[in-house]
Amino acid sequence: MRLAIIGFGFLGRNLLKAIWEKISLLRRIDKDFLVVGVANSKGYIYDRNGLNIEQLIISSDLTKHSGFRAKSAIDLIKENLCDIIVEATPTNIRDGEPGLTHIRLALSKGIHVVTSNKGPLVLAFRELMSLAEKNDCFLLYEGTVAGAIPIFSLVKECLQGDRIIRLFGILNGTTNYILSRMFFEEISFEIALKEAQEKGIAERDPSYDVDGIDAACKVVILANALMGRDVKINDVERTGIRGITQEAISLAKKANYTIKLIGTIDKRLEVSPRLVPINHPLCVHGTLNAIHIETDLAREMTLVGYGAGKETVSAILNDIITVLKKRLQATS
Amino acid sequence: MKFSLTLALPDKPGQLLRALEPIAKNGGNIISIIHERDKPIEGYVPVSLVVDFLSHQSFRKTIEDLMNLGITIMKSEEVIERLRLTLILVGNMDPRRVIESGIEEMHVINIEMTRSILGEVSARLEIEVPVDSVEKVIHELKRVVVEQGAMLIPPIGI
Repeated sequence: MRLAIIGFGFLGRNLLKAIWEKISLLRRIDKDFLVVGVANSKGYIYDRNGLNIEQLIISSDLTKHSGFRAKSAIDLIKENLCDIIVEATPTNIRDGEPGLTHIRLALSKGIHVVTSNKGPLVLAFRELMSLAEKNDCFLLYEGTVAGAIPIFSLVKECLQGDRIIRLFGILNGTTNYILSRMFFEEISFEIALKEAQEKGIAERDPSYDVDGIDAACKVVILANALMGRDVKINDVERTGIRGITQEAISLAKKANYTIKLIGTIDKRLEVSPRLVPINHPLCVHGTLNAIHIETDLAREMTLVGYGAGKETVSAILNDIITVLKKRLQATS
Repeated sequence: MKFSLTLALPDKPGQLLRALEPIAKNGGNIISIIHERDKPIEGYVPVSLVVDFLSHQSFRKTIEDLMNLGITIMKSEEVIERLRLTLILVGNMDPRRVIESGIEEMHVINIEMTRSILGEVSARLEIEVPVDSVEKVIHELKRVVVEQGAMLIPPIGI
C-alpha cells in the first residue's frame, strides 16, 4: 500500500519517525508498504518508489527536497498517487478546512483515511462515514480523541455486544494540568495557566482549551461514533475553568474531592467543571486524559493515558495497521 | 417504592399472619419487620414493617384491606430515600440567597465559605435531596446560582 502524509507538523514528523522505527513490522503485514508522499501547506514531495524516510526525518523542510512541487495536497490526492492518507493538518472547527476537503476527496476516490484532525469529524461525521461506506474504504480516527487512549478500537473490537449508557471523561490535557497544579501546589488559575504556557502545554491564546471548546469537540465525536447520536458542537452545554478559584479547589479538597473539567455524554451533552472524588478512577492528574464508560453488560470501565503530544502517533499507527490488515484479509 | 407501617395487633395467636395477608395479596415485598411480642400495651403488640410496593395504589389498597380487617394502623408513610451531595459555588454572590431561595425538597446540611479580597465567594455546600428529585433540585439550584452570575460545580454523574 502507498501511504501519503498530509500535514507535516509536529505530529506528521513524529509519525514518520515511528514508521521508520516500525518499518519491518509494517512490511511484515504488507510487503509493498511505502510512504510515497508528504505534503504541507507549501506543497508536497512524491516518489512512486517510496520516499527516503531517513532523509526526511533529518531534514523536515520539504522545499529543500528534490522533486518538491509547490502544489496543493489536493493534487496529490486527486491524481490517485496513494492508497491511504494520514490527514494530520491542524484542527479548524469553524469550517474544518483544509482537512475536510482532503478527507472528502480521498474517500470519494476510495482512498482510505486515517486522521487525527478533529475539525472534519466534528462538522461532518455522518457525511464522511457514509462516504467511506459508499466507496468501500476506511475512515479511522483514533487519534482525534484522548490521544493514545484506544477508546474507539476498544469499544468497536472488544465491546461489540455492549451498549454504552453513559460516558464521562477528562478529555483535555491542558486544563487537567492547570487544575492539577491548583490542587497540589495551591496556586491560582492565572499562575497555573502562565506556568502551562511557559512549558508549552497551553497556547498563548488558551481559550480553545480553558473554555472547554476542545473537550466539547471530543464529546461530539465520542457521542456520534460510540453512542449512535447525530450531534453537533452547539448541542454541547459548555462551561470552562476560568472562574475556578484556588479557594474552591481547597474547599473541595477538604471534603476529599478535586475539581476536573469533565465531558459528559448522558441524556445531555456537557463539558463543565465537576467534583470528582479523589478515589474515583477518573481522578488522574497532570496532562493525563481518562475516559470512564458505563455499559449494560461490562458495567464500568476506565481508560487512562496521554491525550496529546507525540503519544498520539500510537493511535495513528494502529489505525494504519488496521487498514493494512483488513485490506489484506479482504484481498486474500 | 418503600413504605413504613406500624400496626397494633391484639396479643393473640395468629394475628401477625392475618395482618400479613393483605400485604402479600397486594404485591408488597417485606424488607423488614419488628414484632415486639414482649412489649404489649394494653393488650396490643406494636409491629413495625418496611414494605416495598410497586405503586402508591397497591399501598393504599393494602391500608384499606387492613382497615377492613379491623386492624389498627398507628403509622403509615412513604420512606423517602435521600442522597447527600457536596457542591461548590464560586463567584460574586451571596450564598444566603442560594440557601434561602426556597428550592423545594433541598435541605441544606452544612456550608463552608471563603471570600477573597475582591469579594469573590467560594463555598462548599452539603445538601440532602430525595433520590428521585436530584435532577430537578440541581437544575433549580443551577438556575439560582447562574442568575447571580456565579458557577455551580456539582459532583460527577449528577
